[in-house]
Amino acid sequence: MIQNYFKIAWRNLIRNKGYSVINIAGLAVGVAVVLLIGLWICDEVSYNKSHENYDTIARVLKHVTENGKTRTGKPMPYPLGSELRAKYSDDFKHVVMSSFHTGNVLSKDNNYVSKYGGFMEPDALQMLSLKMIHGDWDGLKVPNSIVISQSTARTFFGDKNPIDERMQIGNTLDVVVTGVFEDLPYNSEFHALEFIAPWQLYTISYPWVKEARDKNLWDYSAYKLYVQIADGKTMASVSENIKKVIYNHLPEYSKKGKHELVLDPMKDWHLRSEWKNGVRTGGFIQYVWLFGIIGVLVLVLACVNFMNLSTAQSEKRAKEVGVRKSIGSTKKQLVSQFLSESFLVVLLAYFIAVIVVVVTLPAFNALAEKQMTVPFYTISFYIVSVGCIVATSLMAGSYPAFYLASFRPVKVLKGAFKAGRSATSFRKALVVMQFTISVMLVIGAISVEKQIGHSKNRPLGYQNNGLIMISKDTEDYQGKYNVMRSELINSGAVIEMAESSSPLTDVWSTGGGFNWEGKDPNFRMNMSLVSVSHDYGKTIGWNLVKGRDFSRAFSTDSTAFVLNEAAVDYMGLKDPVGKTIRWKGKKHKVIGVVKDLLVESPFEPTRQAVYLMDYKNTNWIELKLNPERSVSKSLAAVKSAFAKHVPNVPFDYKFVDEVFAKKFVAIERIRKLSNLFAFFAIFISCLGLFGLAAFMAEQREKEIGVRKVVGASVFNLWKLLSKDFVKLVVLAIVIATPLAYYGVNSWLNNYTYRTQISWWIFVVAGMGAIAITLLTVSFQALKAAVANPIKSLRTE
Amino acid sequence: MILQLKDLFKWVNSGGQRIFLLNDIDFTVNEGEFISIMGPSGSGKTTLLNVIGMLDNFNEGEYTFLEESVHTLKEKHRAKLYKEYIGFVFQSYHLIDELTVYENIETPLLYKNYKSSERKAMVADMLDRFNIVGKKELFPSQLSGGQQQLVGIARALVSNPKLILADEPTGNLNSTQSEEIMELFKTLNRQGVTIIQVTHSESNAAYGSRTLHLKDGVIVNTH
Repeated sequence: MIQNYFKIAWRNLIRNKGYSVINIAGLAVGVAVVLLIGLWICDEVSYNKSHENYDTIARVLKHVTENGKTRTGKPMPYPLGSELRAKYSDDFKHVVMSSFHTGNVLSKDNNYVSKYGGFMEPDALQMLSLKMIHGDWDGLKVPNSIVISQSTARTFFGDKNPIDERMQIGNTLDVVVTGVFEDLPYNSEFHALEFIAPWQLYTISYPWVKEARDKNLWDYSAYKLYVQIADGKTMASVSENIKKVIYNHLPEYSKKGKHELVLDPMKDWHLRSEWKNGVRTGGFIQYVWLFGIIGVLVLVLACVNFMNLSTAQSEKRAKEVGVRKSIGSTKKQLVSQFLSESFLVVLLAYFIAVIVVVVTLPAFNALAEKQMTVPFYTISFYIVSVGCIVATSLMAGSYPAFYLASFRPVKVLKGAFKAGRSATSFRKALVVMQFTISVMLVIGAISVEKQIGHSKNRPLGYQNNGLIMISKDTEDYQGKYNVMRSELINSGAVIEMAESSSPLTDVWSTGGGFNWEGKDPNFRMNMSLVSVSHDYGKTIGWNLVKGRDFSRAFSTDSTAFVLNEAAVDYMGLKDPVGKTIRWKGKKHKVIGVVKDLLVESPFEPTRQAVYLMDYKNTNWIELKLNPERSVSKSLAAVKSAFAKHVPNVPFDYKFVDEVFAKKFVAIERIRKLSNLFAFFAIFISCLGLFGLAAFMAEQREKEIGVRKVVGASVFNLWKLLSKDFVKLVVLAIVIATPLAYYGVNSWLNNYTYRTQISWWIFVVAGMGAIAITLLTVSFQALKAAVANPIKSLRTE
Repeated sequence: MILQLKDLFKWVNSGGQRIFLLNDIDFTVNEGEFISIMGPSGSGKTTLLNVIGMLDNFNEGEYTFLEESVHTLKEKHRAKLYKEYIGFVFQSYHLIDELTVYENIETPLLYKNYKSSERKAMVADMLDRFNIVGKKELFPSQLSGGQQQLVGIARALVSNPKLILADEPTGNLNSTQSEEIMELFKTLNRQGVTIIQVTHSESNAAYGSRTLHLKDGVIVNTH
């Protein structure tokens, strides 16, 4: 019986090639999109799962409430690690203090390479279940040791076993290699990790860390803390136990704000990393949901095509239904026959979709910046595939099956049956639904585009063209600022050089404790602190709005402040220039106000910032290249100057504009994906529309013939046939507009600095949908309209 | 007795008026009969045939088929009944275009859950009996009208029904083909199959053992 069903299904497919191609292609594209989105979602939710202790690892976060606002941060005070280990030993299996990981110069003989890594307590290797190629998990227990990644080992030692080899960190710390670990996969939080050195070494080598240990500084936070909770404990209970640990140790004067610790489980690091006022608000998970929903919608669109075309073809199949019923088929048997037909179509479409996925995966990987593969070697892939095929068959095939199987044989066999008509309103509803979804996706895509444009056009507050920055990873730069600056300027390669504590694309330190006349005593403030050299303003080209820049002509400028406009607002200063601010027991005079510099997220308001002169506390060098020279020549000159003054440091520079552009990577990726999905939604909808228009024209062939005979022009007929579809699309636009408005509005609420939802977006999306509808329908309409009426009238 | 209709009425309501399609039909068919139903267009011939074939309902009266009261049966049982005992032959053959001659004849057997080997034997028997073995792999569109109707009859007969209902079986055929088909019916009838045919042609009606004349849904006479 089944064999018979498949046979007739196959012959029907072959006979109606046009519809079959549209049906299968539409479904294949839909399924391919769903598969790609499925792979993407699997990849997103698999983050960090390569770590064996995925379920029990957490990092410690701190909620600090000040002025009624709660910030959530990662920096922890030095004594916290040993405190948790000593007093909460039942709760934890491992407690691992860690430095913030950064680029550091590693060297072996005369080979200097900047590598990303940091200092961690010895349990780190076991806790993160690193796969050791050489050495074991005890590697960091040896003082002056270093554990390096396989790729780092290759950089310095080739294929040789590097155990017991000597190296240097930052050109000052002598270490011995005690282990090599396999590079971590790209979807691990630690994938960038290229080396780990012992925490102990960190503590004794850097005076400020040593001081934190020796003085037991609970109110100075600059380290990260990772933990693995003990077997049988839950994240919630441990989190509750340690909630007050920091607060209880804070000195009285620091206790004004609320300090609460919370465990952030590893499973939430990637997708739920956002906190607002001490409450987890989600994060990237919203895009996982969004794209998941879009995937399902695209599949629904494809299924709608199938339903549409199947019911449209029902007139052709009606006779078969009548005959089968009269020779003894039950309704149930017919339903299963039609369902097996849709199963066959879906099966074909699925195979094509898998091929499409395999072919397009490299491109999709490039777009999504991932390394996904189709998991052909897992059973779950096949289980999911079968599930997907069956579900799609049922979704696409059920309605047509029940619809067709319910025909009454007497009516059908009399020949007076006009099947297509009776399901017209259902099909119209389907078309409206398809275009509603498509128009919504298009509006969404345009809005993403607009938000990107909006934030890219935001004033930077400085000139970033030809501006490079160089991280001072080592102590080698000490005391060489003036010599290097005058040499570089004299060479003509750069026009100005400066130093600063924070890079131009981030805020590295913040602080409070500012006092001035008229300040509300309860106001606990927090401002971004940037230490700069005299020439900072000239180098980056900031815009002074009041007062003057730092100048060597005034020796008093060593204690002067330059504020940004946000700081003036924040502090409520009326006439800032000349005001005196007390800070750390000294008086500081405000000499100037600059326009806000956009250094953090382009989607958030600029933070209040204070710029002060402090040559000792700088981490970055900024260079403004000479615009009249070629960039490559200038860079070569800069490189040789650096090689002369800091020979043991690899010359590693970044263009500020390029680093800034990276802030758009996430949203750009969303833009690309949303464009892609909107395109496919439109494509599938048009495919369906095309088939439906073809069918409509076919069905009205006689009517068109009669109209032509009585004098209708081709234009009249085109209008007649297109009108119906345009009406449906207009209805779809009307439905889509408020839905899309709601969706886009709630998405934009993620960004403080956001674009307006303009009316023209809706007009453009609507006009686009109508234009594409006319284009799709016109082909069929014109074909029908120019046909010779004699032919169509004779066939009856 | 194979079937009996008693005081049977069928009507439709149109514009507040009741139009009778079948009006007080009393009619008995015995096993082995060959009955022709005649009458002008719109007299209710096909409706009567469809009611007998249980493809259509009626509004009032009784219908007994092989001792079962059809009017009290549920749809499912009714379908089972006609599947088992009735074969249909249509004016425009109504073969399934996508199936070959062989498969068309086989289809009713599929719905009756015959085993594959049984089906093969039964279809082969039919092909042989109707002399169309050579055409079994062809599709309906490759056959002449007469040949298509032969297949249609073969399909109706393959599951050994007690009753054949034929709705103008020769209506689309020329006179030679028409004669062949009627001869075939006669032979079948002689072999014990009960046949009811609807026809416009007096000469075709003459093949039957009894003729029923219908006008406006009323049986006007039998002879």
